[in-house]
Amino acid sequence: MFDMYQGYVHYKNWDFELFNYTPSDYGGLHHAAVRIAGDSVYRHLKHEGGTHRVQRIPEVGLSSRMQRIHTGTMTVIILPQPVEVDIEQKDLRVDTFRSRGAGGQSVNTTDSAVRVVHLPTGISAECQQSRSQLQNRDTAMRMLKARLYQSIMGKEVEQRHTARKQQVGSRSQSERIRTYNFSQDRVTDHRTGYTTRDIKEFMRGGEALDDLILNVLEHAETEALLELVEQSLKQTTCENTADK
Amino acid sequence: MWRRALNEVFSFMGCMNNKSQLIWVVYAVRGCSGLALPVQRITALQAAHSWSQLFQEKGVSEPDLSSRYITAHVLGAKTFESVKAETLSEPLCPEKTLQIWKLCAKRLKRMPVQYVIEEWDFRDLTLKMRPPVFIPRPETEELVDIVLSDLQKESGSLSILEVGCGSGAISLSLLKSFPQLRAVALDQSEDAVHLTKENALSLGVEDRLQLYHLDILKDAETILNSCSGVSAVVSNPPYLYTEDMLSLQPEVLSFEDPAALDGGADGLTVIKQVLILASQILLNHGRVYLEVDPRQPPLIQQWVESHLQALCYVETKQDFNNRARFCILQKQETNKTHKQD
Repeated sequence: MFDMYQGYVHYKNWDFELFNYTPSDYGGLHHAAVRIAGDSVYRHLKHEGGTHRVQRIPEVGLSSRMQRIHTGTMTVIILPQPVEVDIEQKDLRVDTFRSRGAGGQSVNTTDSAVRVVHLPTGISAECQQSRSQLQNRDTAMRMLKARLYQSIMGKEVEQRHTARKQQVGSRSQSERIRTYNFSQDRVTDHRTGYTTRDIKEFMRGGEALDDLILNVLEHAETEALLELVEQSLKQTTCENTADK
Repeated sequence: MWRRALNEVFSFMGCMNNKSQLIWVVYAVRGCSGLALPVQRITALQAAHSWSQLFQEKGVSEPDLSSRYITAHVLGAKTFESVKAETLSEPLCPEKTLQIWKLCAKRLKRMPVQYVIEEWDFRDLTLKMRPPVFIPRPETEELVDIVLSDLQKESGSLSILEVGCGSGAISLSLLKSFPQLRAVALDQSEDAVHLTKENALSLGVEDRLQLYHLDILKDAETILNSCSGVSAVVSNPPYLYTEDMLSLQPEVLSFEDPAALDGGADGLTVIKQVLILASQILLNHGRVYLEVDPRQPPLIQQWVESHLQALCYVETKQDFNNRARFCILQKQETNKTHKQD
């Protein structure tokens, strides 16, 4: 699975950064974590999250009694990454003592306190620890960026927790999103019913996987659209009923 | 028992009583109504609070800030917030109490805090302050930013001219940020020239600074002969309108040099001279950076376009409070220099 996704990232020309690779005691991979960056990465990969089922006959030579189909599962979790905080001048309001009066040469003051407000979010930061207004403004800006980042991160952490819960699910058989059947040389996605053959080629993570992913994507986006239409129809019907 | 005369406002008598406590007794309060020296030792917090209340009663502007900055200064700190809470709650020694009282009495007479504590911060510098030399305003910190970002694009050794240096805030900030920069600064006030020199020495940049006691309105020729070929001319010239001078707050009206503030009937008298000088003294593509009154940029632009073809108006920039505050002009390419005329 790891190799398949690595192959896919290579196929799509994305960036692949390994964070963690932990093999299991009995061979193979126990768990791994990877950071993928590039165009529309999250959009393509978000539907990969969930339980993947593998059905195969183990390669190791065993007695005929042991040569039965083995089923295993693998959990894939896809999490979006937080963005760098970029603040535009037009989104800021700077409050100082001099905001109120004429300012300039006509006034003498020792009030150098500054408050910076990020208008879109309402998040603000104040500083009056220096006698220089410029220094206070620079400090307030740094504090504001940190608070904005924390706020975004907070939302991200929330999203991650939700995503994790949704994707891990109960790890039961019925929650599987895809089955890789080696003995029947078949990959089936259970959300769309899409089936493809030549599992060996599929596991390379190239065009075959891409086709499946695009199909799932199309399916998901169509469903979302239908739901929107249904909702708006419901509203109109309600309104019509109310009018009568 | 002993006696010591303080100043014309009050005098006191002190005596030792039991082991450690020194009791101060106020003897006479002459003239203005000051605050009596405390009988027992008080804390910095209490001192600041008492004076803040008196300032408020007497209509002194920024009463809290005034008492806090003065108290902090006596405690060796720049701000009240930077003093440890324990220190603020400790009883003050008599010397410090006396010092706070002396300084606050000056503030009571509406002397600006910056003159009372004889220093203030400008960007990342601490500068000495002394009446009647003009106290730098916060807007001017931004002017330095603007000049800096342009200078950073240049390479090699550059020189700038500052007209009306005051305490030296602008030139010294630029010299500190640019080890390769050389500056010529002038002021019509001898006090200002001396103060700039003192500050330059403290900051260790005096070797790259040439100072002149010259008046741009009277000594233009001398200035032209003293320096030429500068990359930038910077100035926070007097730009107030004469009719507005009388309504200024006492801190400004009674203590700061009016020549540093009064820009004439239209506020543009000195500004125009700076621009004329700049057009002659700047290298090709050199720039002028001015801090002005928010009403002046369009008038300056008009005047330059009709009277000073050598300069081209580049841009008006706003200050933090979104007021038009800074004018940038550029010397047009020309083969003529003032020497060839």
